[in-house]
Amino acid sequence: MNLLLRYIPLVLLMLLLWVLVRRRAQQVCPFFFAYVAFGVAAGVARLAARLLAPLRPEVYYATYWITEAGYDLLGILVMYELLRTVLGNLTHAWWSRLIFPAVLIAGVGLSLARAHASPAQFERGPSYILAGEIAVRFVQVLVFAGLVTAVPLLGLRWRQYPFGIAAGFGFYATIALLTTTKFSDFGTGFTFLWRVTSLVAYSVAVLIWIWFFSSPQKAETPNPDVSAPSPGVLKQYLDVLRRMR
Amino acid sequence: MFSLVLTWLIVAWGALACVYLLYRAWTRFPRRDLDDVVHFLYPVDLSLAESLLDPAEDFSLRWSLSPRAYREAQRRRMRLYLELVRRMAHNSVVLVEFGNAACGGEKLGAGVVSELQQAAIKVRLYSSFARLSLRFRLLLPPGAFGVIPLPDLARLRRVAELDGPKTYDELKTAAATAFTQLRPAELEALTRNL
Repeated sequence: MNLLLRYIPLVLLMLLLWVLVRRRAQQVCPFFFAYVAFGVAAGVARLAARLLAPLRPEVYYATYWITEAGYDLLGILVMYELLRTVLGNLTHAWWSRLIFPAVLIAGVGLSLARAHASPAQFERGPSYILAGEIAVRFVQVLVFAGLVTAVPLLGLRWRQYPFGIAAGFGFYATIALLTTTKFSDFGTGFTFLWRVTSLVAYSVAVLIWIWFFSSPQKAETPNPDVSAPSPGVLKQYLDVLRRMR
Repeated sequence: MFSLVLTWLIVAWGALACVYLLYRAWTRFPRRDLDDVVHFLYPVDLSLAESLLDPAEDFSLRWSLSPRAYREAQRRRMRLYLELVRRMAHNSVVLVEFGNAACGGEKLGAGVVSELQQAAIKVRLYSSFARLSLRFRLLLPPGAFGVIPLPDLARLRRVAELDGPKTYDELKTAAATAFTQLRPAELEALTRNL
């Protein structure tokens, strides 16, 4: 595959990082900001390691798997951040704290079942990272689909940053799970198809994030600097409330 | 085999979610303005809700009526509360849609809209769980309560850690705040209908 095409997601991630810095997203969603910053650093590291690969192939191998493990860890942290943000605003019920662990257990369970059914042809370390990656994909799809299902049920506003982040991850993870489940039937053609599909899907995911973060999010709380309402306005509020009770 | 079926189900759920989000992005949210709010609300009698959820009322009915008459009275009260909860849910949807539409404009402050939406979503959450619980109880044949003890309606005051009447009252307060900033002429109709 063309080297230029392979690094399209890196260019898009750089653009996204610039948009995130402009929107001060590190204050709203710090783990997602860390994920994107890590993505840019990992992309640059992989590019450098690839250039070195003819001389030191083991460097590229190590860089690839270490950065994959980093993606897995940050991917899970971003999902935790999303659920905490969305559910924290909705309910303080005790069971809402169990949703993330339950989703995580489901993802790990499905990944282990899959690894048991068709063991990966890798060394022990990379095969663990691969199993972790599939678990993260399951978690991402479950969180995304769950949040989107809550939109019509609870009337949530979907055009907000947490939904944008979930949409990007959800789209990519759905395609990734679909390709690893279905394209493995294609035998030797699998690797090429998997690479192309993953590349396109990840680029679309980054474009989704750029689209969501391209417009500022409305402030959740009123500005404390705004002056207090006048006695007349307060009286009007009280009159209305009195009539409503 | 089981994990493969589950994987396909999850992938299908994810794909459907992608399609739904694309549809929402394409159609945008419903443009519900002020005129589409006040006349679309159903009045909710909170004092009636309070009396239905009063444990003392449950207790006095249980003691004054025969078991059969109590079961019938309790089912009637459940149906009445279901209707009130249905109206709460409907009003919260109308207000959420208004809040979503108002988010795009500059008429209301972001804080006011956010509070209105949060209050409406809490009512929606409460009413979803309360309706599920009530429907399940009403699905059981009246004779079943001869074997299973009939639950008190008062237990439905708090569902999913949310107090129903209190949550709805907060929604009314948030709506009053939001609407005061717009047109005072519409307030009268709002207080009547919400």
